[in-house]
Amino acid sequence: MTTATTPERTLTLREIGPAGRGTRPDEVVIAVSPAFAGHFTKTIVDVPHAEVLRQVLAGIEEQGVTARVIQVFDTADLAAISHGGAKLSGSGIAVGILSRGTTMIHQKDLPRLSNLELFPQSPLLDPAVFRMIGSNAAQYAKGESPQPVPTRNDQMARPRWQAKAALLHLKEFECIQAGRPAVEVEPVFGRVGSRRLG
Amino acid sequence: MTTVDPGRSPARLVVGVDIGNSTTEACLASIGPDGSITYLATDLTRTTGVKGTPDNTAGALTAVRGALERAGRRVGEVHTVLLNEATPVISGLAMETITETIITESTMIGHNPATPGGEGLGVGTTVPVGALPEQAPGQPVVCVVPAGADFDDVAAAVNAAVRRGVDVVAAVLAGDDAVLVTNRLDRPIPVVDEVAAVERVPLGMLAAVEVAAPGRTIRTLSNSYGLATVFELDPAQTRQVSPVARALTGNRSAVVVRTPTGDVTDRRIPVGELVLRGAGKTLRVDVDAGAEAIMDTVARVQPLDDAHGEPGTHVGGMLAQVRDTMADVMDVAGQPDVPVSEIAIRDVLAVDTFVPAEVRGGLAGEVALENAVALAAMVRTSRSRMQLVADLVSEQLGAAAEIGGVEGEMAVGGALTTPGVDRPVAVLDLGGGSTDAALLTREGECTAVHVAGAGELVTKLIDSELALDDRETAESVKRFPLAKVESFFHVRHEDGTVQFSDQPLPPHVFARVVVLTPDGPAPVPTWHGLDHVRRVRREAKRRVFVVNALRALRQVAPGANLRALDFVVLLGGSALDFEIPDLIADALAPHGVVCGTGNVLGTEGPRNAVASGLVRAHAAVLAEGARCPAS
Repeated sequence: MTTATTPERTLTLREIGPAGRGTRPDEVVIAVSPAFAGHFTKTIVDVPHAEVLRQVLAGIEEQGVTARVIQVFDTADLAAISHGGAKLSGSGIAVGILSRGTTMIHQKDLPRLSNLELFPQSPLLDPAVFRMIGSNAAQYAKGESPQPVPTRNDQMARPRWQAKAALLHLKEFECIQAGRPAVEVEPVFGRVGSRRLG
Repeated sequence: MTTVDPGRSPARLVVGVDIGNSTTEACLASIGPDGSITYLATDLTRTTGVKGTPDNTAGALTAVRGALERAGRRVGEVHTVLLNEATPVISGLAMETITETIITESTMIGHNPATPGGEGLGVGTTVPVGALPEQAPGQPVVCVVPAGADFDDVAAAVNAAVRRGVDVVAAVLAGDDAVLVTNRLDRPIPVVDEVAAVERVPLGMLAAVEVAAPGRTIRTLSNSYGLATVFELDPAQTRQVSPVARALTGNRSAVVVRTPTGDVTDRRIPVGELVLRGAGKTLRVDVDAGAEAIMDTVARVQPLDDAHGEPGTHVGGMLAQVRDTMADVMDVAGQPDVPVSEIAIRDVLAVDTFVPAEVRGGLAGEVALENAVALAAMVRTSRSRMQLVADLVSEQLGAAAEIGGVEGEMAVGGALTTPGVDRPVAVLDLGGGSTDAALLTREGECTAVHVAGAGELVTKLIDSELALDDRETAESVKRFPLAKVESFFHVRHEDGTVQFSDQPLPPHVFARVVVLTPDGPAPVPTWHGLDHVRRVRREAKRRVFVVNALRALRQVAPGANLRALDFVVLLGGSALDFEIPDLIADALAPHGVVCGTGNVLGTEGPRNAVASGLVRAHAAVLAEGARCPAS
């Protein structure tokens, strides 16, 4: 698994228009929260958003499925973001991601508060997990039966990270722009420095 | 004058109770003084404890009371309770792998990743990706990428090398990046990925990488002469690499590295000899010869007196384990233990199977389907403790309790109540541990046999062949039809029909192969498609039940001729299965036999045969007594 974090990669989300409903049955929508790659640039455990999105996109591409990225502005609720993305997805499958890293795979026919796979403990999500999430979402879109991504569990995550998670959520909440519709964005990856391959 | 006092009780209330391995069945009837039977009610409950032990009493009482309640009778009215003489057999199972695949010197990678990249064949020298910048142009190279490398960097490094004139013809990756890397290359090459132990790939050696188009399999590396062409081998060397070619057959991608002594071997594990004694001879057969050879030998020593495994070998261990389990089952508190040496194995069923096992020396966790033999063994016991159960039942109900005839004969009696059946009739009781056959001739003579292997063995085969490692799941795969959940609102059944539902299905079954249990769809944790699971299920049933049905019927049929049988009635829990009766009927059809699932009393299906047979036999005895009274 390619897990090298490359902190020199940067991400900007270039707006290309309002988010519409997709028609290709082989697409997965990635729906990101209002402050993703904007107010925030990394998750609760400092995984750069550039790496998060790159790995989810890579997981989808490796399966031969296409991806479309949208940004949601009027809510910071993961279920609403993911389900909204799924309803716009040509395959009905979407991955929703919050700025702090919490992630969910959703399907359009499911009730909003249900999901296909949920990764609730944001401090335990590293680039390798994001790759597997992208890969699984793409396999669902193809009608395959992937093994669910193994969810890690850490009893100490709650006491250790709850305060920070709450603050990050408040910040994200402040970035909500009520009534602003979701937009389709093009992820633009940049590189600050260059690195020789070892 | 008569044995029945007509003034007080013109009709007796009797209950037949059949205690089986998994269910206890009761049949309530009233018998007139002339032996005429009026069936009143039946009931069925789970057997409590191991069949033939005093623990059965609770289940027997539950079944009796259940039947009484349905008929609206009181416990005090019961005259006699009739219990079956438990089938004096118990059975055990064991399984042993008989082949293994070993790769030496990391010669081959044939693990079939889900998403290889590119297409075609590339032959070159193995070079680590880090050494590409120093590589001189000209020579064809196969690039080896360690774990942790980023796909963008790898693609950039390969593109840079190709621009300098280095002929990169293929790549082997540790991560799941093949499509990502291929998509970023200026010149596409075949890429094999997910090679976990990529650091063990020999460097500086000639290697060939082949990837086939989606939906196709490789053609060159799975062909011995293709390998000979690629590596310029002489005939002796070609003979040596033929196992490599065979191991790669059916793959979509593969890597073969040529090393001085690298090899792939398909080794037979010596598991020992099975020693079979019977019919005045002692025959030995190698277990790794496979099920067919074992069953041929078993057929030659019928009736079997005992079977042993060669001490110190796997098969010795297998049979010793079976014997130990049976000694435990037969142990009675307060009585001396049954010596293990006194337990004689009276029948053996061998079944060829395969077990997915990780290849030794593999670089990518390759799994090969290794051959295995499963053995079901059956032991006769002399220590049935039904009398104890009968005493306890009698005490609790305040009625007489008798132990009726042999189970096989009783089952035939019950089967005769199926509409459309006449003598001579053979019954096949498809149970959990053993398959029993009994024949009733036109003259009323009854013969019965028990052969090892039934429902439990099917469950075990399904469990190991699908690598489920979960007996409960395997059991439900055996018992219920399959379907594929194609969306939240429709499933496709195994016969291809689509069924829609109004309510969305639960998320955990989405896109999965499921078994349609009465409690709703349950996912089968396997990456195999529905067709594969279905084939494994049907094959397991065929190899156990069809083989055993023919084997058991030949033993009871006059002159071992199946054509001499007219009616075959299927009974027992496994006769309720949705496809086993059809599989057996298909196998018997060429012999001109009428075969079908029994319908005891015209209402009970294949259930309750023994319980109602007990009532019939009892009535016949009463009628006999009425006709010719003891003076």
